[in-house]
Amino acid sequence: MGVVKGDQMILNIGPQHPSTHGVLRLEVMTDGEIVSEIRPHLGYLHRCFEKHSENVTYEQVIPFTDRCDYLAAMNSNFGYVVAMEELMEIKVPERVDYIRIIMGELNRIASHLLALGVYGLDIGAFTPFLYMLRDRERILDMFEYTCGARLLYNYMWVGGVSHDLPKDFEKICIGFLDYFEPQIEEYNNLLTYNKIFVERTADVGVIPADVAVSYGVTGPNLRGSGVKWDVRKDEPYSIYDRFEFDVPVGDGHFGTLGDCFDRYWVRMLEIKESVKILRQALKDIPGGDVHQMLPKKIRPPKGSVYRRTESPRGDLGYYIMSDGTPTPYRVKMRSPAFTALSVLDEVSRGWMISDVIAILGSLDIVLGEIDR
Amino acid sequence: MTVDMLMDWFATIGDFPILSFLLAVVISGVPLFLVMALNAMVAVYVERKVSAFMMDRIGPMGQGPGLHAGKWGLLQTAADAVKLLVKEDTIPETSDKLLFKMAPFIIFIGAFLGLAAVPFSSVLQVADFNVGVFYIIAVGSIGVIGIVMAGWASNNKWSLYGAMRSAAQIISYEIPAGLSIIIPIMMAGTMNLQEMIHFQEGNVWGILPNWIIFNNPFTFIAFFIFFISAVAETNRTPFDIPEAESELVAGWMTEYSGFRWAVFFLSEYANMLVVSGLAVAGFLGGWQSPIPGMFDTGAWGLFWFMSKLIFLIFVMMWFRWTFPRLRVDQLMHVCWKVFIPIAMFNIFGVGIWKLIFG
Amino acid sequence: MSKYFANIYDTVNTLWTGMRITWRHMMNIKRDNVTLQYPEERWPRPERNIGFEHEDYNVIRSRLHVDIDDCIGCLKCERACPVDCIKIDTIKAPTRGEDIPDVKHTGETSNGTKKAMVVSRFTIDMSECCYCNLCTYPCPEECIFMVGGPNSSKHPIDYEFSEFDRTDLIYQFAKKLSPEQKDGLQNPKPEAEA
Repeated sequence: MGVVKGDQMILNIGPQHPSTHGVLRLEVMTDGEIVSEIRPHLGYLHRCFEKHSENVTYEQVIPFTDRCDYLAAMNSNFGYVVAMEELMEIKVPERVDYIRIIMGELNRIASHLLALGVYGLDIGAFTPFLYMLRDRERILDMFEYTCGARLLYNYMWVGGVSHDLPKDFEKICIGFLDYFEPQIEEYNNLLTYNKIFVERTADVGVIPADVAVSYGVTGPNLRGSGVKWDVRKDEPYSIYDRFEFDVPVGDGHFGTLGDCFDRYWVRMLEIKESVKILRQALKDIPGGDVHQMLPKKIRPPKGSVYRRTESPRGDLGYYIMSDGTPTPYRVKMRSPAFTALSVLDEVSRGWMISDVIAILGSLDIVLGEIDR
Repeated sequence: MTVDMLMDWFATIGDFPILSFLLAVVISGVPLFLVMALNAMVAVYVERKVSAFMMDRIGPMGQGPGLHAGKWGLLQTAADAVKLLVKEDTIPETSDKLLFKMAPFIIFIGAFLGLAAVPFSSVLQVADFNVGVFYIIAVGSIGVIGIVMAGWASNNKWSLYGAMRSAAQIISYEIPAGLSIIIPIMMAGTMNLQEMIHFQEGNVWGILPNWIIFNNPFTFIAFFIFFISAVAETNRTPFDIPEAESELVAGWMTEYSGFRWAVFFLSEYANMLVVSGLAVAGFLGGWQSPIPGMFDTGAWGLFWFMSKLIFLIFVMMWFRWTFPRLRVDQLMHVCWKVFIPIAMFNIFGVGIWKLIFG
Repeated sequence: MSKYFANIYDTVNTLWTGMRITWRHMMNIKRDNVTLQYPEERWPRPERNIGFEHEDYNVIRSRLHVDIDDCIGCLKCERACPVDCIKIDTIKAPTRGEDIPDVKHTGETSNGTKKAMVVSRFTIDMSECCYCNLCTYPCPEECIFMVGGPNSSKHPIDYEFSEFDRTDLIYQFAKKLSPEQKDGLQNPKPEAEA
């Protein structure tokens, strides 16, 4: 922290604060309400994910990946297993690929719903939050139906998934999508187009495209700045190249390109794209045995792999190094929320305390993933 | 009015002016306090239910035996009140203790004094001033002193931010509220609330009751400006920036707990009652029936006044559970650049209207 | 100037749209209500199901349970657990596949596997369990499982196992053995000499 001048005050936001999205501590230098510097302090949720992984077998790492990004655990699983399969050169059955994409996209919707709802809550609107949570609940019900867990799934395994889809899952999922699509319009009417919400978010916390790229910001935050980069499209993994979907980018809908509203709006549009992918996947899903390619013993050859996937928060990369034993030599996770948080100081200088909360909410960070 | 009637009645018994004055004040003040407490309890329950229903929840409920909140959670606020009363009362070590203890009383006084002039019916009004409107607006500003005291004395940065925001907000919004309430005064030609309500008797344009809001287009706009400014004065969403929970934790109330906090809460709801009461008396015909000439005798007056009051309070809750919160500078923008010019324009408009048509 | 009024109109319009939505929800609360009044109503909720039958679930991760009579003491679940919450001690049985009545040890599992081990200790610390379900897959006898749902025939669902004391969350599944019994199993007496 710099020198505190006579008219400045250090304000300590967190670690216990209603809108730090977990346990984040922000040391904020303020001049009245105007913020001049922010220093985030991390580590309140540090659980030694990477070190811990070196002491457990490859399949036992998967429950730990759940607990990194706990709001999108399916996508965390997805990244890890895709990386492992690349390392072990396993080609999974087609049905497994489809199931993974269905689960991943459902979890993307769930994660974005929470992000948008909590963002409304940060701005002060309570009701949209509960509507979004109500619909997220339906998705969690479907996950529970499939794999028994609602939040931390341990569903995707190296070479397959733990359970086949249950009875009538396709029908139930289509039923949910039919119910869900009109709800998006209701969220928009209730929150997105609300003039107060627009005033609070448009033109606030602009991340220009070059700043976003130089900080390594990824995912919806990068696309909100107008950069069309989506790992699903540009570096397709699994079978994402088979699906028709757009990559929504921010366009300065109500304000400047790259403001809080754009990041919010990109997430809202991504939900619609996910629904599109889900409909295609549910239509084309083939039959087959999901346990067919499960290796008897996971013992990858010597070597290393880096694979990035598109989690709801951005580029989620796994670097896995194997020394030929049943336990990994090194597992490194590249967390998208970490880079998103690093840009906070730069974009919130000169804004008010209320705006810092709005900017932090629009970045959609998950502290479990930042601290790992 | 009640005080005057009681004093007149005491005067018929004997000649003890000071004692009779005290008795009259106590006899009319105690029910007023009960009204305030009852209002807070009912309003908290209703607010919980309204918010729950708007969010597809059902709010406080209790069905089974044992320590449940009663049927439909009716005992919930009673249980909350008991909890607040027996809760530990914490005072921060580094606070300014005298100011910290005084602040709740000052806020309470502001709300209580305002309630004294609210005309619940043609007879039920504790004090019938000849400057009733002016009085309510004036005592309404006392509360802000208490808020600033609470924020400063807590010795907490969140509280200080909340208090500063609150001071700026309440003082600013008093101007459009005051400018809008001038319009009923212009129309009725009096500041006395009872006379103002009497002015609103009868019909206008054949069907509508002769309430000031329906009198002409300018008064119609003035009502909305007054009502929204009143929402801002009571620190409720979308103008709840002094206690913005997602930014300032609890604003100026952060360090308060137990009964002191309950007093804040009581005052907030009493303030809602006062400003809605003023809006009803000034614009919505007070205790007049909406169908002129019908149902306007005796207790019907109280009924109509309360229904209008409850409707306005419901609208405040409706606002709260629908809208996001404004930012400080936007709040000022709305006040100084939108409300005040329109309110000024309204005054001219009403003046010219009166000149031509009245 | 026109922008000023357009702004005001926009504000009133969008706010009114939002208010209409909340009003509609308030009026339709009977239909839209999603609250589960927990102690009175329990999951799975009968009147508002969303198409899921209880038995159709692939698995319900509520609590681990062990059918100790089927356990052969192979330690596979202990090794699979990423957080080491399963602890098993075994003693070699004197004769493979034979009942030992005084410690209530059955010689065969329900699948017909002859047991070579007497499980003297089988504890699961449910306060440490991370509900990853990894222990249930390797089990050759399918005797460790999550209760409820598809396993309802084996054990009723139990998702509210709260306790006042943390040690009460350590579930003991093995039959209690006294030190003498343990000792007797470890050093079997020679056959009756008489």
